[in-house]
Amino acid sequence: MNGLWRRRLWRALLSVGALAVLYGIASEIGSALLPRRIWMVAHYLEDVELLPPYRSLLEETVFLIQSGILPRSVLVSTARVFEGLALGAAVGVPLGLSMARAARLECLLDPWVTFFRFTPALALLPLYALWFGLGELSKILLIATAVAVVTLLGAYQGVRDVPRVYLEAAKSLGASKGLILRKIVWPAALPQIFSSLRIALGLAWVTVVVAELIKATMPSLGYLLALAGAYPRVPTIAVGIVTIGLLVLACDAVALGCYAVATRWMKRSPAHA
Amino acid sequence: MRPAEAARPPKARRVWLGLASVVALVAAYTLLSNAYRVVDPSLLPDPIRGVLRPQILPPTQRIFDAFVQLVGAGASPVGGAYVHTGDHIGGLVEQRVTLQGSLLISTYRVLIGIAVGGSLGVLAGLLMGWSRAVDEYAHPIYILFRSIPPLALITYVMLWLGHGTAHVLLPIIYAVFTVVVIPTYHGVRDVADIYVKAARALGAGGRLLLSRVVLPAAGPFVLSGLRYALIIAWMTTVGVEMLMADEGIGYLLIGGGMWSSRLEVAGDPAVIVVGIVALALVGYAMDAGVRVAGARLTEWVKR
Amino acid sequence: MPDPRRRRLEIRDVTHVYEGKTATRALDGVSLDVFENEFLAIVGPVGSGKTTLVRIVAGFLTPSSGVVLWDGAPVAGPSPERGYVFQEEAIFPWMTVRDNLQFGLLAQGVPASEREKIVAELVTLIGLEGYERAYPKELSGGMSKMVEVARVLATDPAILLLDEPFGLLDAQTRSKMQDQLSRLWEEKRKTVVLVTHDIEEAIYLADRVVVFTPRPGRVQAEVVVDLPRPRSLETRFSPAFLELKRSIWKEIGRA
Repeated sequence: MNGLWRRRLWRALLSVGALAVLYGIASEIGSALLPRRIWMVAHYLEDVELLPPYRSLLEETVFLIQSGILPRSVLVSTARVFEGLALGAAVGVPLGLSMARAARLECLLDPWVTFFRFTPALALLPLYALWFGLGELSKILLIATAVAVVTLLGAYQGVRDVPRVYLEAAKSLGASKGLILRKIVWPAALPQIFSSLRIALGLAWVTVVVAELIKATMPSLGYLLALAGAYPRVPTIAVGIVTIGLLVLACDAVALGCYAVATRWMKRSPAHA
Repeated sequence: MRPAEAARPPKARRVWLGLASVVALVAAYTLLSNAYRVVDPSLLPDPIRGVLRPQILPPTQRIFDAFVQLVGAGASPVGGAYVHTGDHIGGLVEQRVTLQGSLLISTYRVLIGIAVGGSLGVLAGLLMGWSRAVDEYAHPIYILFRSIPPLALITYVMLWLGHGTAHVLLPIIYAVFTVVVIPTYHGVRDVADIYVKAARALGAGGRLLLSRVVLPAAGPFVLSGLRYALIIAWMTTVGVEMLMADEGIGYLLIGGGMWSSRLEVAGDPAVIVVGIVALALVGYAMDAGVRVAGARLTEWVKR
Repeated sequence: MPDPRRRRLEIRDVTHVYEGKTATRALDGVSLDVFENEFLAIVGPVGSGKTTLVRIVAGFLTPSSGVVLWDGAPVAGPSPERGYVFQEEAIFPWMTVRDNLQFGLLAQGVPASEREKIVAELVTLIGLEGYERAYPKELSGGMSKMVEVARVLATDPAILLLDEPFGLLDAQTRSKMQDQLSRLWEEKRKTVVLVTHDIEEAIYLADRVVVFTPRPGRVQAEVVVDLPRPRSLETRFSPAFLELKRSIWKEIGRA
C-alpha cells in the first residue's frame, strides 16, 4: 500500500510540475509573440500580458501581499463564505431533518423546495440587492440561500436513507422519539449532511465571487478580480484566480477531513481504500 | 437494507397539500403586497414602512402585468430614437427584450454547455476511471482546475476571446465539465469494474466492452452527474449573463449588462420575480426531461 | 393438549395481507401459544410468513385480522418487554460495542453506574472483553450478531423474538452461534420464539418446533423436541435428533 501511495504522489508531482514548466515556456514565448494591444468592444486595451510570465506573477504577488490587499481580501471573502455557510446550514439542515420526519410538513414545503432547487441562487442577486440593500447582508444571504438549498436536500435525503431496521431496533428497545432523533437519525444522517456541506462550500465560493460585485468595495476577492478585469491587469487576475483556487482547495480538504472524522465508524469499501 | 419508509400520505393527498400550500402563500402575498393601498405605509413603524412598498414587494397583479409586458415586448412599437429611460422594464421593452427570447438564448447556452462540457467530462471521467496511469497523472491536475470557480475566469477568458459569443460559453462548458467528470469516474472505476472483469473473462474486449459493459454500468452515475450539471450550468449561465453578456435571462434580470454599476440602479422587483419563476420552471422541466429519458435508458436499474 | 405451564403469548387466528398492487396473503389463520420459559422455533420455507408473524408479535405490524395477546393484553406497538433480534444487521454502526449494549438501558433511564455494570456482565457473557470501545466494523459478522442479542438481553425482556438471527452468517459461524445461544438460554431461561428456515437449528435450540406451510403461512405441524440439555455437538448426531429431523422433513414434504 505504501509503495502504491508513493507512486501516486510521485506521478501527481510529476504531472503538476510538467504543467508548471510548460506554462513557463509558453509564457516566455507568449510574451514575445502575443499581441499587447487588444480590441475590446469599443476601444483598444493597451499593454495586456495574455500569458504573464512567472516574473510578473511573482512581482504582482509580492505587491499584492505587501500592500495588504491580498491578505485582507482573503480574510474578508473567506469570512463571508463561512458566515453564509453557517447561516445557510443553520436553516437548511434543521428544515431538511424536520421535513424528512414530518410527512405533512414535507407535503407543504415540497413545492417551495423544488422551486428553490431549480432557481439559480445567483438569479436572486438583484432581488436581494433591492430587498436587503447593497451591503454585507445581501452578500451573505445570497451565499446562505445557495447553501441552505443544498444542505436541506442533503439532510432530508440523509434521514430518508436511514435503514428502517435501525429505527425499528431502537423503538423495540424502548427509545423515545427524542432519543431516536439524537442517537439514531442524527448520526446515521450525518455522513450525508457532511457531504452536502462539502458541496455547499464549493457553491459558496462560486457565489461569493459574484456576490461581491454588489456594491463592490475593496478588500474582497470578487472585486479584486472584477477590477483587474476592467483595467485589465492579467497578473492580478491570475493571482486572484490562483488564490481563490487554493482557498477552495483548502476548504475542500478541511471539509473532507471533517467528513472522514464524522464517519470513522463507517466501513470503507475496498475500492476507496 | 430497506430504507426508512415512514408512513407517507397517499399521492393524491400530497399533491393536494402542496397545491394548497402554494395557493395559500400566493394569496397571503397578494394581500400583503396590496396592503399599501389600504394603509398609508408612512404611518407604520419603521421596518414595516420600508418593506410594504410596491417598489419592494410588487403586488401580484404587477408581477403578472410585467409578465405580459415582457412576453409582448418584441411586438410593442419602438418610439423613435432610443431613449434611455432608466426604468428597468421600460429599458427592456425598448430594446425589445422578451422573456421567451431571453429564456431561449439562455437555454441554448445551457444546452451547448451540457453538450460540449458534458461530452468532454464524460470522456475525461472514462479515461481516468479506466486507466490507472491516466488517473494518477491527470487527477491532481483535474482537482486543481476544479477548484477554480468558473465565474472567476470570465474576465480572463474575455481578453482571449473578445466580447462575443465564445467568452460567455466557455465558463459554462468549463463548469459542466468539472461537474460531470467525478460521477463518470466513480461509475467506471467502482461500479463497472467487477462487470468488466466478468466480461473480460468471457472474452469480450475493445469496443464491445466499452459499449456493452462500461457505458451501461456507469450510465446511472453519468445521468445523476448530468442532472447536477444542469443546475450548475444554469447557475453559471445566469451569472455570466449578469456579469457581461448583452442578452439572455441574466441580462433581463438586472436590466442591462456590465455588472456593478447597473446594480446600483434600482431594479424592478416584478421583472426579477418573473425572471426567477421562469428560470425555476425551465430548470424543473429540463431536469424532468433528463429524469424521464434517463429512466428509459437505464430501465434495468432496481429502484 | 392442556398444558399446566403459564401461557404468556397467545396468537389467535391471525391473518395478514400485504396491501399493494397485488395483495399478498402472508398469514392465514394462525393460532399458537407460547409458554413461560419455553424455546419455540418456527420453521418454514422462505415466504411462509414466519417473519410477518414475529413482526406482528413484536408490534411492528398490525394483523389484518385476529389478535395477539401478551400476558392476556393485546399487543399495541413495539415494547422493550418483547426483545427483537433482526435478520438484517441491526447493530448501530456509529456506536461502539459498549454504547450499543447500553442503548436499551439508556432508553429506559437506567443510571450510568448501573448501565456500566450490566454492560460489563454482558461483555463477559458473550466473550467480547477488550472490544468495548470498538466500532462494529471491527467485529466479525458472528460477533456483531451476538452483540445484537446481548443488546436485547440487557433490558431483560420477558420474551426474546429471534427473526432468522444467523441467516446471514456462514455455516460454521452459525453453528458456533447456535452453541453460544443455547448456552446463554440454558443459563438465563427465557421465553424465546425463533424463526428460521434451518431445520437443524430449530431442533438444536428449541423445546418445540412449529412447521409452517408455504405462502400463505399456516401451522402445518408441531413437533415436541425432548432432547436432553445441555445440548452439544453430540446432540446433533444423536439418533433422536436425526429422527426428529426426519419427521419434520416429512411434514414439509407433505405440504
